[in-house]
Amino acid sequence: MAGDPITEPEALRRLRLTDDPSAQYYAAWWLGRNRSTHPDTVPLLQQALRQRRPRDPGAGVEENAVARNAARALGKLGASATAAIPDLLATLDDADPGLREAAARALGDLRAEAAVAPLMARLASGPAVAGAQEPGTPRLQEPCDALLEALGQIGVADAVVLAVIRPFVGHERPLIRSAACRALLQLTGEAHWGEQLVALLQHQQLQVRRAALMDLGAAGWRPALEPIAATLAENSLKLIALRGLAEQPGASARDAGTVAVLDAMDALL
Amino acid sequence: MSLSPPVADLVAAVQRADSALGLLQATQALAASAHPDGAACLVEVLGFNNPGAAVAAVDGLVAIGEPAVATILANIDGNNYGARAWAVRALAGIGDVRGLAVLEDALGQDIGPSVRRAAARGLGQLRLAGLPADERGPIAARCLAALLAGCGDGEWVVRYAVVVGLEALAPELRGDPDGTGAILSALERLSRDDPDGASVVCLRAALALSRLDPGAALEATDG
Repeated sequence: MAGDPITEPEALRRLRLTDDPSAQYYAAWWLGRNRSTHPDTVPLLQQALRQRRPRDPGAGVEENAVARNAARALGKLGASATAAIPDLLATLDDADPGLREAAARALGDLRAEAAVAPLMARLASGPAVAGAQEPGTPRLQEPCDALLEALGQIGVADAVVLAVIRPFVGHERPLIRSAACRALLQLTGEAHWGEQLVALLQHQQLQVRRAALMDLGAAGWRPALEPIAATLAENSLKLIALRGLAEQPGASARDAGTVAVLDAMDALL
Repeated sequence: MSLSPPVADLVAAVQRADSALGLLQATQALAASAHPDGAACLVEVLGFNNPGAAVAAVDGLVAIGEPAVATILANIDGNNYGARAWAVRALAGIGDVRGLAVLEDALGQDIGPSVRRAAARGLGQLRLAGLPADERGPIAARCLAALLAGCGDGEWVVRYAVVVGLEALAPELRGDPDGTGAILSALERLSRDDPDGASVVCLRAALALSRLDPGAALEATDG
């Protein structure tokens, strides 16, 4: 995973190698992973994002893969990446669904309120259109889970936003239902969305149980503590979910609710 | 009261299993016996690339405890990464000092965060009570050194497990002001700030500090 150990100047040098996408790919990942604060980092990642072009699946590590990693890296950089929000918004309209997905997630990570309207527009046609399977692929027309999760993360709880998300709670795919419930739980705090996620922890498919774990963790919904600990899935994932429950605003080692989460984590090590 | 089938039958059932589910069920039955004669077979299961069965085998080895340690150590397979990871977990769960070197290596060098995590927990809970006093100190010092090095691990979950390990190790070092001081200052540092922004590590370190009663411990270092 870690690849070869390189320094920040070396990562920046590699990201400038526009004729070597595989060097750029690793450099973009490295700068995000290491939360680079160098003044050249954001401008170079913006350039890498603009380097995208129509997909050429036969081309190995192609430019769009670099652009995807650049989007993901920008999402990890926090406030210093706000200058790149317009580039990420433009990327939300790209023809490459993988790139739209990476841009949506990065905009969510950056809590970019300017993204709420374009994200809603991508979902507005509902499960029957945006959420329909693209013929000949396993993909949906839109990367619905990423779009829904970004709306939940950004945190604008207007009635119009909730109205766009709500129909996806009835989507035929449990992973999309899980993403919709997660967003609604984050935006409204209403327990019944959390209860639907808890119900998905019992789903027969491991993949769905894993997604529901991550979604409950992202929402930090503490009533899910015991169901999470009892879920049939890897301890590593349960620990990530419980971390989300522990890291709530105002959490302290002196309050019993937080200590209960930490005790459950200790038991999973 | 029902008699459980002889261990040899349970072992034979594991060896006969011809499906993933069959192996899981046979392993669970053998593990439930917690009989030392099942240890070699349970260790073998760790190398079968069947995670469900491996979990059951680890549980069984931990239930057997000390009598399983020599078998686990003799069969550590440097070439089978998965089997080695499960063996580390079993050793961490048993807490026998003969596993110390394996746990040190695992925390310091293993590529799998889940293995380093288990090793960190294990280094905090080795059972030292039955050992001669002159052996306990050096062993506890090695555990402490490995855990202190683990504070800088790149994965939050490993740092979290290191905190849990340090808290568990602290009572063993009660008579050692330097060791106690090292634990408290490491926990103090981790409770203030996590290098990767994992505030759960800070919360856990603060909890450990509050449980270790820093006031009393500080008196020990002053003395």
